Amino acid sequence: MRREGSPWQGLSGVFLKELADHLSSVRMRVLEWLVVLTAVAALYGAISAIRETTQEDPFVLLKLFTVSQGKLPSFVAILGFLIPLMAIGLGFDAVNGEHNRRTLSRILAQPIYRDALLAGKFLAGLATIAISLLCLWLLVVGLGVFMLGVPPSGEEIARSLVFLVFALAYAGVWLALAMLYSILFRSPATAALTSLGTWLLLAVLWPMLAPALAEAIAPPNVRLQILGLPTLATLEWTQALMRISPSHLFGEVVLALLSPSTRSLGPVFMDQLQGAVGGAPLAFADSLAVAWPQAVALVAGMIVLFAAGYVAFQRQEVRA
Amino acid sequence: MRASALFAIPVILGLAVAAASAETPKDVRGLYLLTDYPAVSVRPGTTSTLSLRLQNYGLAPERFALSVEGVPQGWVATLLGGGQPVAAAMPAADANVPLQLRLDVPANAGLGTHNLTVSAAGQGNRVELPIAVTLAKELPAKLAVEATLPALRGTPKSSFDYSLKIKNDSGRNLTASFAAEAPRNFETSFTEAYGTQQLSSIPIEAGQSKEIKLKVRPPSTIDAGKYPISVAVSAEDATAKTALSLEVVGQPQLTISGRDGLVSGRAEAGAQSNIPVVVANTGSAPADNVELSATAPSGWKVTFEPKTIDMIAPGKDAEVQAQITPTAKSLAGDYMTTIRASSRGESATTQFRVAVSTSTAWGMAGAGIIGAALLLMVGAVSRFGRR
Repeated sequence: MRREGSPWQGLSGVFLKELADHLSSVRMRVLEWLVVLTAVAALYGAISAIRETTQEDPFVLLKLFTVSQGKLPSFVAILGFLIPLMAIGLGFDAVNGEHNRRTLSRILAQPIYRDALLAGKFLAGLATIAISLLCLWLLVVGLGVFMLGVPPSGEEIARSLVFLVFALAYAGVWLALAMLYSILFRSPATAALTSLGTWLLLAVLWPMLAPALAEAIAPPNVRLQILGLPTLATLEWTQALMRISPSHLFGEVVLALLSPSTRSLGPVFMDQLQGAVGGAPLAFADSLAVAWPQAVALVAGMIVLFAAGYVAFQRQEVRA
Repeated sequence: MRASALFAIPVILGLAVAAASAETPKDVRGLYLLTDYPAVSVRPGTTSTLSLRLQNYGLAPERFALSVEGVPQGWVATLLGGGQPVAAAMPAADANVPLQLRLDVPANAGLGTHNLTVSAAGQGNRVELPIAVTLAKELPAKLAVEATLPALRGTPKSSFDYSLKIKNDSGRNLTASFAAEAPRNFETSFTEAYGTQQLSSIPIEAGQSKEIKLKVRPPSTIDAGKYPISVAVSAEDATAKTALSLEVVGQPQLTISGRDGLVSGRAEAGAQSNIPVVVANTGSAPADNVELSATAPSGWKVTFEPKTIDMIAPGKDAEVQAQITPTAKSLAGDYMTTIRASSRGESATTQFRVAVSTSTAWGMAGAGIIGAALLLMVGAVSRFGRR
């Protein structure tokens, strides 16, 4: 059967309706307030920490994102924790909610393909998160300029904007996952619990499990252990396993992009550092090259998860 | 008892010595008015003092009235004893009384010889001492300076040490001050012959000589050639001069920098990149056979094209290409590499900052992975897309 017309027909309709629903929903408002309040608290902590340092730093704006003070985690750490929550909140009842309200068949009775429906829902969720992130970014830059009195440099703006794009990809991974679960499970509660469970596993439990698993796969060298040194194979396995978690990937992207002196995200040997100028910031392109594998993993993961959801949705019976 | 007996021996010895000295003029008896120099020369307008003594050999002590006769008009002659003007003296037997004759000679006194007589008159005993005072201009102060090695040779970086002997040929002690005249920007300093203390003047006793050292440091950028230095020593109205010469032999001096003074460059990990290096000779002699070498982080390969420069004339420079290959495992970021040029002892080093960037091959691979994911998506759409 050949398809007639574009598969994207009706995409803009679905997109705009979903976006409007998201932006006016109480759920979204609660999530936004949560994010904004914690972010402002983290930002305030960062600003007061930066004010106390007197040393010259060409990347003061980026420090706003990464510096933490006292018990409060840094701005990016809070984002790394709350972005998945927001994405799951937007995506966990995307499809099964329509099922339960019995509106899915009605929508599909319109000249709208399933492709357009799913893509529209996904893009609307992504756009909602993008709007929130952009607002947060403006808040950070604005507060930074206002309270520190240092105008941001072009490179700082570029780095933080690229960080924003990858944060969006990170959100996309969780949104695609939540939507996949909302397609697979008929009950929104099951989908929500499964999504949150996956998130908890990958964000909280995985950092503890990965080293143990790595030690099981590649047992550490006893002689090195006595000297208090790590074994390279174990270290590499730990890192490889950790990188399954999108949270860890996001953390590495943040490190490479927002701390310009980061030269590598993997283990570094002493001979690689010989003659290196310590603390010298990398060029933006070099930082991007360091973060690139992680960023690619996030973007590709988002696409693959969405494709999986798409395949599942296309094969589903919707009239029941 | 024993201790006092031992102690007595030096006392007896001391007495014996005193007795021996007193016994010497045994055959001389009588009273004498003595002076070491009975004819002196004095400068008009000055006050001079002559030492006299009234010596009594073997006579009973007696009072002697003292007087000075023949004092020219306007002169003041005073006899002093123990710092006070005295009119009489009383020497004990075999003893003398020191006296001084102070002469205040007016500035306008005519030149020539004047005879003064100092007399001591006792009861029936009178002694006289004629003193010839010649008014004359005094001998002028005279100095001589001599360098043991008046011509030295060295590079612009060496320090030239001249040892100078200053002799005081005049009749009195002088304080000689010295100064050196050298070409512009030469650094000169006088020090003790064996010491580091810098001096500007030195006291020299009459007839004696002293050695001092003159240290000359030419400016390091000076051209090769001969430079004159003159040393003048002066004290009161005397001066002495000596000429020294300093010969500077040319020396090459190398400096390294990048083109336009830039000492940084870019390189890609695992790939060779060229950084232009300019070797300049700012010295005063040609630098030949300049060899280039580098100290780079471990595993890096640094070669130069050409490896050696045959000759760099003074004031000229030469450019070579440093071919830097960081290891394939290099991390992105800045590294320091030291580049060295050496030519027969003369060398120069400069640190170059090399910004290493990693290969973009993995970036392309990443884009490929995203492309594959998109292809998967497109495949899913075309396979499962419904009508």
